Amino acid sequence: MKVLALNGSFRKNGNSEILLKQALMGAEAEGAEVEILRLTDYKIQPCRGCGLCLFKENVCQVQDDDVNFIFAKVDACDGMILGSPCYFLELTAVVKQLVDRCWILGHKMGKIKKPASVIIPYATRGWIPYVSVQANILLHLMGLVKINEATVCTQGISEVVLDHEAMDLAYSLGKEIAMAIREKDFIYKGEAGVCPCCHDWLVRILKDYETVECPTCGVRGKLSIKDEKISVQFEEKAWAKSRFGPEEQYNHFTYHIAPSKDYFLRTKEERKSKSQKYREYLPG
Amino acid sequence: MTKYFVKLRYYPGDPLEEIRERDLPNLARQYGVNISYERVEKREMKDGRLREKTLDKRIEDISQEVITVSAEEEDNFSNCIIALYKKYRCPRTPYSLLGSNEAGQKIAKKLMAKHGGW
Repeated sequence: MKVLALNGSFRKNGNSEILLKQALMGAEAEGAEVEILRLTDYKIQPCRGCGLCLFKENVCQVQDDDVNFIFAKVDACDGMILGSPCYFLELTAVVKQLVDRCWILGHKMGKIKKPASVIIPYATRGWIPYVSVQANILLHLMGLVKINEATVCTQGISEVVLDHEAMDLAYSLGKEIAMAIREKDFIYKGEAGVCPCCHDWLVRILKDYETVECPTCGVRGKLSIKDEKISVQFEEKAWAKSRFGPEEQYNHFTYHIAPSKDYFLRTKEERKSKSQKYREYLPG
Repeated sequence: MTKYFVKLRYYPGDPLEEIRERDLPNLARQYGVNISYERVEKREMKDGRLREKTLDKRIEDISQEVITVSAEEEDNFSNCIIALYKKYRCPRTPYSLLGSNEAGQKIAKKLMAKHGGW
């Protein structure tokens, strides 16, 4: 069994790397082969939005970078741990850059299942509201099932080694991934959160002022207050509408994306003539 | 040709609840509009799941449910569209109003932003 760690931090032997390596030591203790990739060591070009991967399966126009290498590593592993610092409310840009390139994996979504965990070191309490969003999106797109997540409050380079609880937690997350692979147990073991699908705590108020939604999964529910406690109820049928569920994914690619080619071709002449002035104005 | 005319194209998975053809005449009466319903079903059962190839197909020819609303009065038209968005949520794609007239499409789009723009 192989456990891969993806590190979204530029910093060598920084807190993210230390926590990830500690987790890998835990996985190794359970018999896993382990590997770590520092994403900033690889060339990850931005998605060009050309749509080739959507209209011709598995074709990406960007060939001169390392994204396919990274995806091949994810394909080859049996479980993954994602680590990234949170510098400004969310994960680092390199993680998002990889998220954007995951379109090409869209055809795999929901078809493969591997366990994954997330470790996020951050410096100031209250400054991490969106970290789970990015992590959840990346894991979903890669076909991974999040079984746990840990945020660790730590600041200076490598200071996390002073936090024994955090180090123990990272080690146990690594062990847990290896055990999950072995036992094929993908039950979520972290804090329940609000969303029944991704376990994040975020909800978005919709414009009807009656409905709330998990911004990541798109699962809708109702918010209520009882005994001064906020509660969010999601009906079970709403879970099935999670945008990352296999049927929703299939419908999205089949009915929202593939048919757009017909519309694109139909409007070709009109688009060309109306966009001409923008090609001429401030040419880049 | 009526003044306001819109086609709302719902693709599989789009409506939040099942669109029942029998519910639509009530909405038409309630809001004083004309409503018609068309279902295009091209999916086939494959390995226990409904599947369809949609790439390189005409938008009108793939599986979908089309609710067509027409009216002479803007308020009636708008209120009916709002009720449909509330019940089923608004259609999802940029081409989901294909076949509408300009006046109808303008209102349907504006209401998407206000009542279903999520």
